[in-house]
Amino acid sequence: MVRELAEAGVFGVAVPEDQGGLGMGLAAGGVIAEEVGRVIAPEPVVLTIGLSLGLLRRLCPAHPKMAQLIGGEISLAVAWQERGPDGALADATCRYADGKLTGGKAWVVGAIGSLGFLVVAEGDDGPVLVLAEADADGLVIDKRAQADGSSLGELSFSGTPAVELASGGAVPTALAEAVADATALAAAELVGLSERAFEITLDYIKTREQFDKPIGSFQVIQHRAVDLNVICEVAQAGVREALAQMDSETDPKVRAPIASRAKARAVTAAKRITRDAIQLHGAVGYTDEFDIGLYLNRALVLSAWLGDDAYHRRIWFEAREAEGAAQ
Amino acid sequence: MTDWNAISDVEFRKEVRQFFEAEYPEELRHLPHRPKFAEIEHWHRKLHAKGWVAPAWPAEFGGMGLNAAKLLIFYEEQQRWGVNRGRDMGVQMVGPLIIKFGTQEQKDYWLPRILSCEDIWCQGYSEPGAGSDLANLRTRAEIDGDDFVINGQKIWTTMAHDATHIFMLVRTDPDAPKKQQGISFLLAPMNQPGVDVRTITTLSGETEFCEVFFDNARTPRENLVGELNKGWTMAKALLSFERIFIGSPSLAQNALGQLESFARGRGAFDDPVFRDRFAQAALDVEDHAALYARFADQLKRGETLGADVSMLKIWVTECFQRITELMIEAAGPDGGSIGPLQVGNVSVDVLASFYKARPTTIYGGSNEIQRNILSKAVLGLPG
Ligand SMILES: Cc1cc2nc3c(=O)[nH]c(=O)nc-3n(C[C@H](O)[C@H](O)[C@H](O)COP(=O)(O)OP(=O)(O)OC[C@H]3O[C@@H](n4cnc5c(N)ncnc54)[C@H](O)[C@@H]3O)c2cc1C
Repeated sequence: MVRELAEAGVFGVAVPEDQGGLGMGLAAGGVIAEEVGRVIAPEPVVLTIGLSLGLLRRLCPAHPKMAQLIGGEISLAVAWQERGPDGALADATCRYADGKLTGGKAWVVGAIGSLGFLVVAEGDDGPVLVLAEADADGLVIDKRAQADGSSLGELSFSGTPAVELASGGAVPTALAEAVADATALAAAELVGLSERAFEITLDYIKTREQFDKPIGSFQVIQHRAVDLNVICEVAQAGVREALAQMDSETDPKVRAPIASRAKARAVTAAKRITRDAIQLHGAVGYTDEFDIGLYLNRALVLSAWLGDDAYHRRIWFEAREAEGAAQ
Repeated sequence: MTDWNAISDVEFRKEVRQFFEAEYPEELRHLPHRPKFAEIEHWHRKLHAKGWVAPAWPAEFGGMGLNAAKLLIFYEEQQRWGVNRGRDMGVQMVGPLIIKFGTQEQKDYWLPRILSCEDIWCQGYSEPGAGSDLANLRTRAEIDGDDFVINGQKIWTTMAHDATHIFMLVRTDPDAPKKQQGISFLLAPMNQPGVDVRTITTLSGETEFCEVFFDNARTPRENLVGELNKGWTMAKALLSFERIFIGSPSLAQNALGQLESFARGRGAFDDPVFRDRFAQAALDVEDHAALYARFADQLKRGETLGADVSMLKIWVTECFQRITELMIEAAGPDGGSIGPLQVGNVSVDVLASFYKARPTTIYGGSNEIQRNILSKAVLGLPG
């Protein structure tokens, strides 16, 4: 599957042509992400388009790993967030010195099955982006099982060898940009997921009969289905518009809240749609024998990744206030 | 025998709390899954020795005979300490039905066995074609000598794989003019060649419900409860017990307690928006408990509950769901993680609560069905 996607140019969709990609931008990436969401594919599509390539193309476009990522030969996980003692997000303390990493990183998507890790750490002269191989010495990966069957990695480094790829102020800027890209693409994946979950549910309520008629003939069910459909359409329109805007914007301060707008909408929509989908299926929706449960579980994971709706509404509002203050 | 209702509420709460705190095994607190009997047997024995298995049953049948206020206190303390309900379908569902409709022999035989958990019960109502439209059930029972012979299929039978007996609705007169007629209420043993149980895995990977197939299974004729072909009316009477039970504040209260310790540990209360959402949920639970007490009092006065009891279930199940959704929000990037999440010295299984909350709006009469009932029977709307 990964190879087929790669041959179709999927992974390089948002990479400029002069860097070996298709140069079609995030909006095209969003169309692909929607498809991935519809079939709840486990492939690291958004991870690669948004995060790994998002970082490399901005910081070291000539790196040989770029071509391998675009060709679907490898995947690289990206590790930048850290967990504090209370279990929540905390300030980063992971260090890079003398070619070695010390510290930890949390919530690493794709930690299992990736060739290595792109790690953002503090070097002697400021932030650095380094590459650590998955089987490097002193690297321990703790797997946390996720609702959709995937896992998140908690990494701990003790003198783990890693190669420096970039350093200085460009690193956090590129990271923020790549995170914004991935956030908006994850929103698109949720849109595709929501649409498919809705279609499956619509089919179900047309065929399941109780009281001698299809349950879709009860008006309360009809209105509910209409609401879900409207939510889907609003989410698709909002997220697609956001991705297109991100393609035409270069200012990171403007792009970030646009990504937040997309993720906030998509998470709100996906939560509502997948939960109502279970309700409308009745007990069969609560089993692992029907696909609809897979959509609920995948939505849980995609919602939590890179910030949920409440988080992104807050970011969006703060950015709006800051812009207002600047004017 | 202690007359619990004679002591003050404060004293009673103290006594219940002390017992739970002293006797309930630490490792069973806030169990994220439905336990099999073996897992909680030791605790059940303690509860049984104390005479506390059936807080709501009249004392003459071995219950505690608690009035509404005391019952609420009992459940509150149970929730506060994370005490598992155990395998209580016997106590909560079939027991009250036998007390109300059973013969003296049936009471003498079954009730003590329910209390001791010598018999462990599951509820066989739903079928593939009979969910919300329960009266559509097709499982047949035919009289053959001293027995009923049962053929058909039940589904969604919670913990059937860990039950010794099933109480079920079966069709005994297929020619009755209305679907609701010709249905009887039967008790049947599970451990026999004609009964085949297959577990169904839930979307969270648990096996807590089953399909149960009956192929010439047998049960003695004396296991008919109430009159032949009058099972529907009785089952409906039981539904009001079930609805006040499902409508009780316990699940939401328990989840709220977990949300509070988790959110506090994770620093979620630093966010004023989260504080407001938490306060909203907490007040939703508190005010629901007030409404619940009103219905519980009605029961204690010996009045039958009206259709309006459905509002308890609607409110509390939806509130329970919102609380578990807030837990996920408080979990932030851990919101998709399975298993217990550690915060300080507490650990909370956020997704287990979330999954537990989902089907509460489906079982026990879905919330859509409850709303249909309220709009017709309480508001008197046409249709
Ligand atoms: C976790 C769990 C445990 C269970 N345990 C047991 C058990 O131990 N024993 C047992 O017998 N059963 C059990 N059940 C089954 C439960 O009682 C049924 O799921 C319930 O009656 C709904 O039936 P259904 O699942 O077939 O859904 P359906 O009846 O097919 O309903 C599907 C959807 O249509 C809606 N709908 C149906 N009719 C109408 C209408 N007229 N107007 C508006 N909306 C309507 C429903 O609300 C629901 O959203 C359990 C179910 C679950 C999920």
